[in-house]
Amino acid sequence: MAILIDQNTKVIIQGITGANAALHTKFMLEYGTKIVGGVTPGKGGLKVEGVPVYDTVEQCLKEHPDATVSSVWVPARFAKEAILEAIDAGIKTVVVITEKIPIHDMLYVRAKAKERGVVVIGGNTPGLISPGKCLVGMLPRIAFQSGRIGTVARSGAVTYYIANSLNLAGLGESTSVGLGGDPILGSNFEDILKLFEQDPETDAVVMAGEIGGVYEEIAAAYIKQIKKPVIAYIAGKSAPQGKRLGHAGAIIEGNMGTAQSKIEALKNNGAIIAQTLGEIPRLVKRAIEGNS
Amino acid sequence: MLFKRNKIPVPDGVVVDKDSFSELDKVVYPVVIKAQVFLGGRGKSGFIQFANNRSEAVEKVNELIGKKYGPYLIEKVLIERKIDIQEEFYIAALIDRIEHKPLLMVSNEGGIDIEEVARKSPEKIKKYYFNPGEKIFEYQAKIISGEVKFQGELFSELANVIFNLYNLFINFDCKLVEINPLGITKDRKVVALDAKVDLDEDAMFRHPELKEMGIVARNEIGELTEREKRAKAAGIPYADVDPEGDIGVFPGGAGFGIAALDLITHYGGRPANFMDSGGAPTQEKLKSMLGLLMDNPKVKVIFGARFGGISRCDDWARAVVQYVIENKPQKPMIMRMAGNMEEEGRKIFEKAKNEHPELFKNIKVYAYDTPIEDVIQETVRVAKGIQ
Repeated sequence: MAILIDQNTKVIIQGITGANAALHTKFMLEYGTKIVGGVTPGKGGLKVEGVPVYDTVEQCLKEHPDATVSSVWVPARFAKEAILEAIDAGIKTVVVITEKIPIHDMLYVRAKAKERGVVVIGGNTPGLISPGKCLVGMLPRIAFQSGRIGTVARSGAVTYYIANSLNLAGLGESTSVGLGGDPILGSNFEDILKLFEQDPETDAVVMAGEIGGVYEEIAAAYIKQIKKPVIAYIAGKSAPQGKRLGHAGAIIEGNMGTAQSKIEALKNNGAIIAQTLGEIPRLVKRAIEGNS
Repeated sequence: MLFKRNKIPVPDGVVVDKDSFSELDKVVYPVVIKAQVFLGGRGKSGFIQFANNRSEAVEKVNELIGKKYGPYLIEKVLIERKIDIQEEFYIAALIDRIEHKPLLMVSNEGGIDIEEVARKSPEKIKKYYFNPGEKIFEYQAKIISGEVKFQGELFSELANVIFNLYNLFINFDCKLVEINPLGITKDRKVVALDAKVDLDEDAMFRHPELKEMGIVARNEIGELTEREKRAKAAGIPYADVDPEGDIGVFPGGAGFGIAALDLITHYGGRPANFMDSGGAPTQEKLKSMLGLLMDNPKVKVIFGARFGGISRCDDWARAVVQYVIENKPQKPMIMRMAGNMEEEGRKIFEKAKNEHPELFKNIKVYAYDTPIEDVIQETVRVAKGIQ
């Protein structure tokens, strides 16, 4: 099962002719992801890594009506159009790798997607992976192995380190989702937590947030309703306050954005708090054993 | 300037810095003198002053320029004609990140205590949500103006301010446009006495007109240190974390950059800095990143980590190797490299080590099977001189 993507998922790549998109198309194909088509306006008829390229998503889906997932790699100024095009053409899950998408664009896209029941992941996401089944994005395959732990994180490398440490401890992932680092995201923690809660192949969920924004606090209220154990880690306890740390999302704003406020909100609602990344596998093991 | 162009009335005024006192001849006294900084609460902290004539103005301007407000050095002041105000309102358009919608807030109890109003009697601040991407209609502005009990001739004037402010917010990709206070003069005119505009830097590509007006999106909070300024010039998100920190942190992206600080601190080390390579950094950028750390005299050891996703291990390895060969650094580097193009990256390191064994004797690059915690603990031991 896993969530969002599995061995039967058919994927298209928007912006496939870009250098990064083409390289990662190769990696995804090597992993076994079923990429059926690519889209770059004006480049229809070409092939990238053997994948046929179309001018529009609509044309692509006419040839490949079973594609349900699109991964968007276009430059930020075209991202809004690309995502709306995918939604309009009937794509069900849009994985937005593009970073630094204007905030008002993303608000609009998000509202449209919710209205149509489409899942948008990102922008600025490393993608997602159901190990051994399907990889959409640019996550390094070596970091993941198949298992029964769901993971969801804001940052790419944190996603990799968590999976890596779970694997070294003999655990594995059902699906790992990178939410993305942009300030307004298509999906929040609770959107993904809901999917993991319903997935029969997931026993526990690791969520990793970071300072800035309000998504962790919003998720906290939902965690109360979840039956599966949630192990939460928040990066940034030792970060200097009032300094912007790279991600547009990591601006410390008001009381809600601090590591302390996030940790307290999560803890008060029943999440198990990991103080460091390295502590996660031990807490996961204890939680699963306690739960079974 | 942005307000005038968007038909929001502002008082007549001039901007004065230490070289342009002649501007003080152009204003009608008495005047208000406002320090130009990007922080609220100026009124309460004495950073808004009054002057009845030119000589008083010169004295007050001299007092303000060069002073610090929070982290900001005051370099300019805004001099405006003093206007007698009868009432103060509050109007703001912003993005509500919980509802994921634009929000318009209006109150007829504006002024320096607006935050207290929000805390004690939130019902006095009226909130109106808009659908993303939708413009405001004039009738909507009128409804809001009426509900906030703006009456008589003010009704239309305020509806216009609301309408123009929301359009400005949408048309220029703002995160926030706030007028506080919006003053009502004795002769029942409205005027924006103080305002803040926060632009979305990621949307500036579609607003070349702002650049022409000399307006840029500000993306840093706090005053920059020399090293931070140097990093900024090189396009690297960087922050000094601990002036006595002896571990230079050379991570990948921002998320792990933040987590690395926690890990080093957890194991008893002192990280010197935060840094973010961004996605798929160039060789030049990676080399500048290393240079920043090597040049910091407090830094004894570099902790490096690359989990290759979109940023490839081979590019990272090539940049590190080139930096070492060109600069022959003495400081040890303890690093871990895993992920996309790891094998290629490892070959690059091995080749360099064979060709320059002396240069690379203090450089360790661990692989996937060594937990990151072990690498960090070794770095902390090296920083403390424990072998």
